[in-house]
Amino acid sequence: MNDKAISVQEVVLDYPRKKKGVGFFREILTGRFKKSPRKDRWFRALNQVNLEIKRGEVIGIMGPNGSGKSTLLRVIAGIYAPDEGSVEVEGRITLLAGIGTGFNQDLTGRENIKLTGSIYGFDSKSISAMEEGIIEFSGIREFIDDPIRTYSAGMRARLGFAIISNLEPDILLLDEVMSVGDYEFRKKSRARIDELVQGDATVVIVSHSKSIMKSMCDKVYGLHDGQIVTNGDLEAAFEFYESEKE
Amino acid sequence: MGVSENKVLRRDGKLPFFSAPFKIIRNLYDNRQLLKHFIGRDLKVRYHNSILGYGWSVLEPLALTVTFYILFAILSDSEDPYRPLTILLGILAWSLFAKTFSNGTTCIQRSSSLITRVYFPREIFIFSKSGYNMFQFLLSLLVIIPLLIHYDLMPSKQILLLPVALIMILMLGTGLAFFTSILQTKARDIEHMVTIGLRISFYLSPVFYPLEMITSGRIPAQYTDAYLIINPMATYITMIRSAFTGAPLDIPTTNLIITFTSTIAIFWMGAIYFMRKERKAVKFI
Repeated sequence: MNDKAISVQEVVLDYPRKKKGVGFFREILTGRFKKSPRKDRWFRALNQVNLEIKRGEVIGIMGPNGSGKSTLLRVIAGIYAPDEGSVEVEGRITLLAGIGTGFNQDLTGRENIKLTGSIYGFDSKSISAMEEGIIEFSGIREFIDDPIRTYSAGMRARLGFAIISNLEPDILLLDEVMSVGDYEFRKKSRARIDELVQGDATVVIVSHSKSIMKSMCDKVYGLHDGQIVTNGDLEAAFEFYESEKE
Repeated sequence: MGVSENKVLRRDGKLPFFSAPFKIIRNLYDNRQLLKHFIGRDLKVRYHNSILGYGWSVLEPLALTVTFYILFAILSDSEDPYRPLTILLGILAWSLFAKTFSNGTTCIQRSSSLITRVYFPREIFIFSKSGYNMFQFLLSLLVIIPLLIHYDLMPSKQILLLPVALIMILMLGTGLAFFTSILQTKARDIEHMVTIGLRISFYLSPVFYPLEMITSGRIPAQYTDAYLIINPMATYITMIRSAFTGAPLDIPTTNLIITFTSTIAIFWMGAIYFMRKERKAVKFI
């Protein structure tokens, strides 16, 4: 059996600079005659990234804002397909970035658990099996059959975190390990993340916090302008990160 | 479903071409539970907090039917024995098409928060809208039962036209939405263009009047063939009417073949376009 969980090879990814709007129609009208150079229209977010991650490893990625960290996670999660190169991921994968993905304001908490579960690829049976644990963890059992729009922001975040962290993926991608809810719940969610990281899951963490990196990761890579610039050594990555700050 | 162990996700530059529709069908089958959940969500949300609930699926087409019935009685003297049924079926069939097309157009762009956080085949969004509108249609269709009883119409073997027409309408609406949903991510103008286009073609299609008003006399005969080819909905609406009234379908077979072929071609090309452009389009949302 192959013990590789994630294999990113020579990945290049470009973003459009001009997000949307008039340019599109102008391009249709005039674009055939006067096409702006490619580098004006596209921004290279990832430039020939290579990354091999073994099953069970915990990897950190550090870098300044805009260096392509979140983009790299999205490519691994399959959200963006690479423009060049290939990505291969073995196992169920969950990207934890922002809470309450796919929530519908008019549905009840319980219905949203089912909806979110199916969005992340679980069938009804396994969702029902997880439901109790999710409600318990969220600590909002009293309101679980009320529509989400009646929830406070904190309650919504708690439910969102409870769902996602109970999905038990093989591969977990954490974008800026978030802290939600009140002090008690923050402690609980931090403990839950530690639990997930220490389990058998393969984890990729994006964070600016050296202490999180130190306490959790086996390897840390530095990312600069869409390229991996360090070899995985923790100290090297921290040194790179410090130098970027100046 | 997705619970399979060691599921391998592989993404690279390869894109499907002629196999696109088959790939889409396989993706739909693999994600059928998600599709079911999305459709269920839309149905639940639609009537949330409304007192009449399901009644609205019925009241909306009924109100339109009454309006056009009165309008028709004022403007036209043509004899149509089943006029309320004709109008009602026209409106139901048209809204199935129009809503599938317009909901499909906006669904990718409106789902941006979901699309940028979790991956599943994006065509699910479009098909969930098609499926939702199909449900709506079937629910609303129940209102014709009293009319059928009133006119003493028993379903004959003509009723087989109904499923054919419905599948064709869905393919047409979904096929067009494959194109517009991608374009919509780059320019929000598309949804307005679709709205206007649908409004215009509502009046140009035999929705609240029978097809005979177009084919028999009012426009020169040499244009009616062209009209039927350009406007596939004219054929499908008429098929649905014939399915219930039992009247023979008064459309030449060649025209039927051309209409079906063009609808399938639109769906097929849309599927190819969608599968090839989708990954670039999601970067724009």
